[in-house]
Amino acid sequence: MILNFILSGFLIITFLLVITKRITGLIRAFRAQSIFLFLYTFYQGFTQRNLELLVICGLVFALKALVIPFVLLRIVRRIKAEEDLGLIINPQLSLVIATVFAYLSYLFAHNAMPRANSPESAAFIASLTAVCIGFFLMASRMKALGQVIGLLVMENGIFLAAGAIAGGMPFFIEIALFFDIFVFVVIIEVFVYKVSRLFTHIDTSKMKSLKG
Amino acid sequence: MMTLNNIILITGKTVLLALFAPLVSGIIKKIKNNLRMRKGPGILQPYYDIQKLFLKDEVVSKNTSWIFHAAPAIVFASCLCASFLIFMAQPGPFIKNDLAVLIAAFFVLGLGRFFLALAGLDAGSSFGGMGSSREMFISSFAEPAVFIAVFALCMGAGNSFGISRLLGGLALLMAAIAETSRIPVDNQETHLELTMVHEAMVLEYSGRSLALIELAAYIKQMLFFTVLSWYFFIPAPAGFAIICLAVALIEISVAKMRLFRVVDFLSFAFFIALLASIAAGAGF
Repeated sequence: MILNFILSGFLIITFLLVITKRITGLIRAFRAQSIFLFLYTFYQGFTQRNLELLVICGLVFALKALVIPFVLLRIVRRIKAEEDLGLIINPQLSLVIATVFAYLSYLFAHNAMPRANSPESAAFIASLTAVCIGFFLMASRMKALGQVIGLLVMENGIFLAAGAIAGGMPFFIEIALFFDIFVFVVIIEVFVYKVSRLFTHIDTSKMKSLKG
Repeated sequence: MMTLNNIILITGKTVLLALFAPLVSGIIKKIKNNLRMRKGPGILQPYYDIQKLFLKDEVVSKNTSWIFHAAPAIVFASCLCASFLIFMAQPGPFIKNDLAVLIAAFFVLGLGRFFLALAGLDAGSSFGGMGSSREMFISSFAEPAVFIAVFALCMGAGNSFGISRLLGGLALLMAAIAETSRIPVDNQETHLELTMVHEAMVLEYSGRSLALIELAAYIKQMLFFTVLSWYFFIPAPAGFAIICLAVALIEISVAKMRLFRVVDFLSFAFFIALLASIAAGAGF
């Protein structure tokens, strides 16, 4: 029951990511998705009385819902990035593609999961959809920050998939992953800042010619 | 099968719906005003308005044709007919035949909208034509979302409460906001020409015709709320209370969109509805 609410929210936010046209909107949607991920982990940890999961859900909240959106919003302010995302596929067509991804995920989960209608299966579908949509965002948004969000959404999806299939990864791997993500975002912040200083934009489709 | 008992039951439900429809609008208005720290009109105000309009004389432009006179009756009748049809579909464990009834109901509502749009054009005023064109523009995006959402509801007939119900309910709520001309899409409270859609269409009407059109709008809103309450398995009175609160909260916390952003809003509703029917097909 509660799980249904959380997973529907996760799916809706994943679709919102596809339709937003602005970088700040994209970052806020990512934050909302991370909050749903936090709720999912918290619910699992609470019902299974699993202390490790509760610690991990706290980390999810601190890192993905607070620190990373804050860092990304700060870099948007610092480089005074224009709001548009460099869409090469417009939002409506992106929604069509996202729906196709969702359908394929359902089809795949129907064949792959042992019990078709279980909540784990629903979580698996949501996670698979998020992974596909994250990759799609990376491929179709030409601004560097949009691609960063795409990668983070994929990471959210994989985290959810791990929770759905195996009940979470081993504790140390989770911690290592969080550090990985954190370092990634910090490096990206510096990197995007340098790129925007050097090129005066962060549009990756215009970076093919050499510049000294 | 349609027995006499059934007919009496459906008629009774429709009459009740028509009686309580203005009250729901009054309650939403009251919630909105109280949340904005205003006193606002009482919840019975829509009844007083309708009574006042029924007692007033009509002013009709000389340039109008029969469509202008016929439209209020047709709009009102289409809303009543749609509510008969909707109550023919039983809430709860749906059988798949109900899909036909529900789709027929929403098509009948489309008939009313068609005549209202014609009537808006009929008097030849610039506001009326603008309102009509905007209404058709918005409804051409809202209607697919409604149909697919209803489709998801009927496809997931035997399923328990799950993802498809939640997603479908959200899609229908978004479409209902557009269809009942509420804030992110349209604004009921103003006659300012930049924002108005529904109000612009009915600008030429006065007196009894306006009363009929307003009553029809209240009934249409109730129909959407009724179907919406089926998604969440909430019995009608509690369901209406929750939906009123939700709609009021949305209305006070969101700014009105530009007309061309409504396309994004409603296409999002459409694809969420599609996702809901995919989930319903997979058994969630």
